[in-house]
Amino acid sequence: MTNAVDAGDVGLLELRDLKTHFFTQDGTVRAVDGVTFEIRDGQTLGVVGESGCGKSITAMSVLRLIERPGRIIGGEVLLRGKNVLNYSDQEMRDVRGNQISMIFQEPMTSLNPVYTCGDQIAEAVELHEAISRREAWGRAIEMLAQVGIPEPARRAKQYPHQMSGGMRQRVMIAMALSTNPELLIADEPTTALDVTIQAQILELMKALRERNKMAIMLITHDLGVVAEMADEVVVMYSGKVFERADALTIFEQPHNPYTRGLLASIPRLGDKRERLEVIRGVVPNPLNLPTGCLFKRRCPYAMPVCDTPPPVRQVKAGHISRCWLTPESEPPSIGADAPPEVAEAAAQELTVAGR
Amino acid sequence: MTTDSEANTMDDASRAPGATDVGTSAATGSVDGNGARPSDGETLVRVQDLVKHFPIRGGLLGVSKLGAVRAVDGVSFDVRRGETLGLVGESGCGKTTLGKVILRLIPATSGEVYIKDRAMFKQSGNQMKAIREDMQVVFQDPYASLNPRMTVGEIVGEGPLVHGLSNRKKREALVRELLGRVGLNQSHIHRYPHEFSGGQRQRIGIARALALNPEFVVCDEPVSALDVSIQSQVLNLLDDLQKELGLTYLFIAHNLAVVEHISDRVGVMYLGKIVELADVDTLYRDPRHPYTVALLSAVPETDPRRRRKRLVLRGDVPSPVNPPSGCRFHTRCWLREQLGNPENCVTEEPPLRVLAPGQQAACHWAEKISPEAIQSAADRQPTVATAEPAPAA
Ligand SMILES: Nc1ncnc2c1ncn2[C@@H]1O[C@H](COP(=O)(O)OP(=O)(O)OP(=O)(O)O)[C@@H](O)[C@H]1O
Ligand SMILES: Nc1ncnc2c1ncn2[C@@H]1O[C@H](COP(=O)(O)OP(=O)(O)OP(=O)(O)O)[C@@H](O)[C@H]1O
Ligand code: SF4
Ligand SMILES: [Mg+2]
Ligand SMILES: [Mg+2]
Repeated sequence: MTNAVDAGDVGLLELRDLKTHFFTQDGTVRAVDGVTFEIRDGQTLGVVGESGCGKSITAMSVLRLIERPGRIIGGEVLLRGKNVLNYSDQEMRDVRGNQISMIFQEPMTSLNPVYTCGDQIAEAVELHEAISRREAWGRAIEMLAQVGIPEPARRAKQYPHQMSGGMRQRVMIAMALSTNPELLIADEPTTALDVTIQAQILELMKALRERNKMAIMLITHDLGVVAEMADEVVVMYSGKVFERADALTIFEQPHNPYTRGLLASIPRLGDKRERLEVIRGVVPNPLNLPTGCLFKRRCPYAMPVCDTPPPVRQVKAGHISRCWLTPESEPPSIGADAPPEVAEAAAQELTVAGR
Repeated sequence: MTTDSEANTMDDASRAPGATDVGTSAATGSVDGNGARPSDGETLVRVQDLVKHFPIRGGLLGVSKLGAVRAVDGVSFDVRRGETLGLVGESGCGKTTLGKVILRLIPATSGEVYIKDRAMFKQSGNQMKAIREDMQVVFQDPYASLNPRMTVGEIVGEGPLVHGLSNRKKREALVRELLGRVGLNQSHIHRYPHEFSGGQRQRIGIARALALNPEFVVCDEPVSALDVSIQSQVLNLLDDLQKELGLTYLFIAHNLAVVEHISDRVGVMYLGKIVELADVDTLYRDPRHPYTVALLSAVPETDPRRRRKRLVLRGDVPSPVNPPSGCRFHTRCWLREQLGNPENCVTEEPPLRVLAPGQQAACHWAEKISPEAIQSAADRQPTVATAEPAPAA
């Protein structure tokens, strides 16, 4: 496991105030609305949040895979310091074929059913390197073996539907790793799988990240998977980052009321509570977002000042939270019922520089 | 009819079908403690040697029988009045099929289910209608399980209508009560399912299940499709309703933490069989089947400090068309491997046997399981080559 703090090398990938909106007939969906975070070399960043909070769209935006009616309308995606939003299509293809690989949420929809698994991996390799078809095929078999698929030579000749869900997910991983990426984006890589198969895949990813020294952006709604894998965690809600910190801090000293609510509402093994905590209400309709803090209607700490969008505060070094509560979880010094003009100015003031 | 006596009554006569006030009792049920957990051991539902095979047909006309999916393959257990029996196991192991056969939503291949000592599969259509009132189901998918063209009022009121509550006013009053009970706005009675969120739809499904004032409810993955923040709302609701109405649940899920939270006892299924059945604390603290051990070990730890080397099962669940001989788990069993591949795992089917009070497991070598054995198995396994078992020695 890479230590999140000691990495001296900066910014493999940095998102700055990224905004991707969908302009639908019914109105604008701000799927990703000002997302800022950073992934360093070799680091595993967990991105968590409930369905619809913008995890997948964030990932797709990084690879510029957004289709109409969606559009990236602002911000920067810096890959080794260069903004890929300004790249040509050809440059972008190079990024996708070399530096960044992605495993999609649904393995069946991202593997092509009419080609054998070996063909698909070999093709990815060929696009990446100037080698012969034969060498590429050999590499495909090697990759299948690496991800623990038995009889890789035989399996390479099979089609995706001839494999189980766990196998297909391994093929996806093999394909993603065949180009030796610096960053692997894994979107819910285990959600469709059974627990025992999920455990296999997580162990595999751990082993491979060690071996290949790659960074992982791990998208999931499963806090357990995050606790298991991540060095650092981003918690998203309604298109925004609500909290970001190293994994231990997120699980042991979360600041944001949403993160706290999430953690308290999941039953855990060995948990003796009679009743689970509940986050009341539901996530807001993306077409009809509340003003001010997006979580205020569900938040047990909500104050009048929460009608004004909250600041992104620094709780401590490397730990930020989008909330009016002070780092000590007290109401802000301007007062719980500060008027909007005062609150707006204070929010600007309190917001961590560069966010 | 008063609710309190109704909710817990064992008397069949008092639940005659066709009575106009059938079900109203669920709605008017007071919240006081009639649901106090009845004494242990009283059996409400008895499942005996239940088998469900789905034939696989082939040939030109699809008439020749090629084999069968042995979805449920000889399952026996009791469900006690007032308890929640959790049922876990991986996809395809037969949980849903078991639930459906118990409710007689699909016919069994063989075996019998008794509810309150009446053999269900021997009941005629009319008698079955009465039994149906006692047994209800909440399905996994709150999107697919509600008819999109019916209003909430029609969905929840359908059961009572079919069972003879023909008076519209009374029916509507009942539906409103039920909506209130599951925490939905009563004025939403004329809305359609698509106007509700996933969690709300699951509440509608629960209200529908409660409309006939059942005693036994099969909950098939009732929270699996829900977001985590909504999951806990629905789990707490099921818990409240059980206390208020004295309900008995068969709670099917694949999330082991959820099952631990809600269950009194837990059954673990593997390839159509129950491989372990025990009181919840016993099962989670001291599992006695290697498969249960592996399931528990596979659950991601929600505490980053406790990251550990886990016991990871190799391979996939074998096909239920051709289950492995002897012990069905032997192709993936870490314990068998640790013990040097004893013969009887392959040749003899281990029966579900009592190991201690409140603890049954179907493993020849259950006594060999210990924390040390588990740890050493976890330490020995290769990290990456977990896809398939090593060739048998
Ligand atoms: N093609 C589209 N048109 C309109 N809205 C869209 C489109 N694709 C996504 N959205 C919206 O963007 C928001 C973010 O979606 P996204 O897929 O990123 O969520 P997610 O966090 O990945 O959720 P999940 O956990 O369900 O995968 C959602 O509100 C979604 O409805
Ligand atoms: N109508 C059917 N015809 C043929 N096979 C079936 C039918 N229904 C279920 N099966 C098979 O029976 C087995 C058990 O399925 P079942 O749905 O009961 O599993 P489950 O434990 O509920 O799985 P999940 O966790 O995925 O819901 C599976 O192999 C399934 O493919
Ligand atoms: S009977 Fe043998 S194969 Fe089956 S679980 Fe026990 S040790 Fe494993
Ligand atoms: Mg997604
Ligand atoms: Mg099922």
